[in-house]
Amino acid sequence: MKKLPLLPHIYQRVGFLLFIPFLFLGIAYAGWDYEIPWLSYSKQVQQISDQIFSNHNFTDELAAVGLIVSLLLISFSKEKIEDEAIQFFRLASLQWAVLVNYMILILCVILVYGSGFLSVILYNMFTILIIFIVRFRFVLFQHNKSNA
Amino acid sequence: MKNKLKIQRAIHDLTQDDLAKRISVSRQTINTIESGKYIPSTALALKMAKIFGIKVEELFQLEEGD
Repeated sequence: MKKLPLLPHIYQRVGFLLFIPFLFLGIAYAGWDYEIPWLSYSKQVQQISDQIFSNHNFTDELAAVGLIVSLLLISFSKEKIEDEAIQFFRLASLQWAVLVNYMILILCVILVYGSGFLSVILYNMFTILIIFIVRFRFVLFQHNKSNA
Repeated sequence: MKNKLKIQRAIHDLTQDDLAKRISVSRQTINTIESGKYIPSTALALKMAKIFGIKVEELFQLEEGD
């Protein structure tokens, strides 16, 4: 079987290590509007006679990008022994995750309206990878357990 | 799909671990193949048959419904 392009195994650990701080940063931002002070950006924009100040803090961007990158590292790094059975489980788990994720999304489309739906879309950026990781780890756990 | 992996291993006095190392897969994968839960690729089947000095058809056989 043609090998899938994957990162070396060490990146999985890097991904887990990065995931924890970015998760806390994301929770702090979403729950308590925490912003890292030095990530603020302010630009004075001249518009005819009025002066508009454009302010933005990049804490949410940092948290989102950090979370996505760490989840990608966890998802697409090799296992210690990456053989074809593991690759099969990986692809099967990815298919399972995509299906479950979209079923949840369909339910949310039907049940959630207004600004609440924006939160659904926001969390949906991460859920597909999280569902994949949980499913894949569970399949690997079963694979190892049944052979113990 | 049926297989005679366990029998062939016994004939050649190989443990799952020995066979796994020789074809660069995990021991768990050998176990999963033996129990019929995972069907190996043609390349892996050929490698195993080569180790046992038999044809792939002797190691793996189709069942009804395959």
